[in-house]
Amino acid sequence: MQAGWNYERFQNLGFAYCLQPALEKFYPDPEKRKAALLRHLGLVNTQPYMASFVAGNVAAVEERAAASPDAEAALKSMPGVKQALATSFASIGDRIFWGRLKPMTVQLCVLVWSAGGFFGWLFTGLDSPVSVALLFAGPGAGIAVYSAFAVYWRWRGLKVGYACGGASSCGLDCADWSRLIRRLSAAGFAMSLAIAALAFGLLWRANSGAAPADLAFRLGLPVAVMALHRVSRAYGRSVFFAAGLVLAGSLLLFSVLSFSPFKLYL
Amino acid sequence: MTAVLRAVISSALAGLLGLDSVQAGQFLLSRPAFVGPVLGWLNGCPLEGARLGILLELLYIDFIPVGGVVPPNGTAAAAAAVLAHTAGLAPSLSFFVGLAAGALFSPLDYRLRSARSAWNPLVEAQVRAGVFSLRRWVARSLLIENAAMAAYVFAWFAAAALLAQVPGLARLYPGTDFAYALMPWLGLSGLYFRFRTQIYKKG
Repeated sequence: MQAGWNYERFQNLGFAYCLQPALEKFYPDPEKRKAALLRHLGLVNTQPYMASFVAGNVAAVEERAAASPDAEAALKSMPGVKQALATSFASIGDRIFWGRLKPMTVQLCVLVWSAGGFFGWLFTGLDSPVSVALLFAGPGAGIAVYSAFAVYWRWRGLKVGYACGGASSCGLDCADWSRLIRRLSAAGFAMSLAIAALAFGLLWRANSGAAPADLAFRLGLPVAVMALHRVSRAYGRSVFFAAGLVLAGSLLLFSVLSFSPFKLYL
Repeated sequence: MTAVLRAVISSALAGLLGLDSVQAGQFLLSRPAFVGPVLGWLNGCPLEGARLGILLELLYIDFIPVGGVVPPNGTAAAAAAVLAHTAGLAPSLSFFVGLAAGALFSPLDYRLRSARSAWNPLVEAQVRAGVFSLRRWVARSLLIENAAMAAYVFAWFAAAALLAQVPGLARLYPGTDFAYALMPWLGLSGLYFRFRTQIYKKG
């Protein structure tokens, strides 16, 4: 769908490529097929997984137009419907896939690794033996869950879109999107809290022999880093800005001023 | 297998995996959390590859590719970081090399996307002439993206290998090690505030 993405017409090439087999079936006449393909080389921009809703819808309209004696009338509303659906599904898809599911795959990876006893994601100097299978199981779990969800909605979108082709609200009511988004947000937040609690618990345990003041300092440093990130975000700066500040400060203290090396855990 | 040959194979693989980011599939095979352990395993350092991958992922997850935005590229970041480590840099410095490589890939990606705008009239002319082979254009797009990513990653490997020869580089390591140790917390902060904001906004 996104192959050939360009700034002039966004996903037009990929969208036309996806539709091409259907158009070849509906329009045996090369002249009509040519006109149909050119219609879909115009601007298209939507969320790639949700594009199937639009593609299914458009395929159904093209099929009807091909069978109709008045093809022009059958295709009259198609550009508007296509544009409206592309925009609506882009908004829904961005929030579900990019905004929620994608970060959740990272959380899943961290949780799988932690369940398997690998805490190298938190302690950068830790070189405990860990199986390669576990290292792949973390990202693999996220990829499996995410891809299953994505493939399901790609298939369902095509099916639903094709079934109600031509309607401007086609597919928008096939699921309670708001509830799904709310539930994904809640699940993501719960996993974030669990991972934060786990991370601070591990840091506490790794510093169990430290004096109270030392322990407070070691636990306070990550909090300070998180606060720095929060402040950077509040001022519209990306996470790279915060990372750059941390790096610059660390280089100044330990490489320029030669403070003795310090580890977060004993 | 020599380090250079491994780097060539790794760069080519990074190019292939990078296609998953936008051009084909989008099953998250291009994410740093996957690219890191794969290239780490290929280069004999799966643990460090996985660690570099997940830490880069935690920071890169902050960017969302909505609309026409070209976010920093996680595949380039993870591949460059792992190859920088195999080229002789400490993991901590490799991480920041990867961070820079991913961010600097965006202008290249932007140019590739802009250049493809010029294809539109050519594709239309071809269809008008009765040639319906869109597959060729799609394949061309995939090939160019693949080659660009592979060459970019290999260039970073070469730069890292040169950097590793700089005398006195080890002086940087206490600083980069400390900053690297704090990166998981920066990433966790990003994850926490992302979902907290969503809950606050109620979807």
